[in-house]
Amino acid sequence: MMPLYIALAVGAIMFGVGLYGALSQTNLVMIMMGVEVMLGGALVNLVAFWRFLHPTAYPGQTFFLIIMTVMALDMAVGFGVGTARFRARGSVEMEEARELKG
Amino acid sequence: MILQTVFIGLFGIAAIWFAVVVFRTHSMVRSALALLFSQAALGAMFLAMQAEFLGVLQIMMMATEMSIMAIFMVMFMMDPGGLGGMDMTHQKRGSQAAGVIGAFAALGVAFLAGWGSPAATVPGPQEQLRGLGLDLMERSMLIFETAGVTILAAMIAATAVALATRSATKQEGNDE
Repeated sequence: MMPLYIALAVGAIMFGVGLYGALSQTNLVMIMMGVEVMLGGALVNLVAFWRFLHPTAYPGQTFFLIIMTVMALDMAVGFGVGTARFRARGSVEMEEARELKG
Repeated sequence: MILQTVFIGLFGIAAIWFAVVVFRTHSMVRSALALLFSQAALGAMFLAMQAEFLGVLQIMMMATEMSIMAIFMVMFMMDPGGLGGMDMTHQKRGSQAAGVIGAFAALGVAFLAGWGSPAATVPGPQEQLRGLGLDLMERSMLIFETAGVTILAAMIAATAVALATRSATKQEGNDE
């Protein structure tokens, strides 16, 4: 049981660190890094549940692939928005993007 | 089992440490590298949990992703080396509180829920790959196909958003 709890604890702490990063950073790329750390925590939980609770059922691994896809999409769209913002304002500082608020 | 526990713990501590370093350093390039090491440590943790395919996939994907991230950092930032020591954080106390509460809530669920007895053995790498392939092509095929179409849509959307508009290009020409 011990390895499962260690893995879940690592996932929980990674989630907390990522949440702090996503909320505290003002730079778009750093905010995306926070989201990546949070998703990394989710991946640890998925692999731990698959390995220690249901090693013969594979939807857990499929879900892992889906989350990895989400990580790549988050990066692609985030950098697209960042490039557009950089062209328009010369910066990706989110403190200066208050006009995006509805 | 003891050796597996030790390695899971060691790689887990390394992943957490590098994740913290991401938000503590002033250098953007160091942040990207710290995130790369953090995600690679997670990949090593997956290998220690006998999920060979997922571990290797994690290391390969993250190495590429973080390299691209470092390049964008250098492109977008005035001071990618962090030599100016500029602070790029806001609402620190609120963020720390949210992070701590989020982590403790997740830890509470992890330690208080009854997960049942853990499995002692795991199928070999070949059997895992076969099972994953069958799952992707049978039961989860619709989800897998949806992910593929979503990737295509996101690629087109990201390219369309990032392309310079005609008026912006004209403006740049006038500035020069």
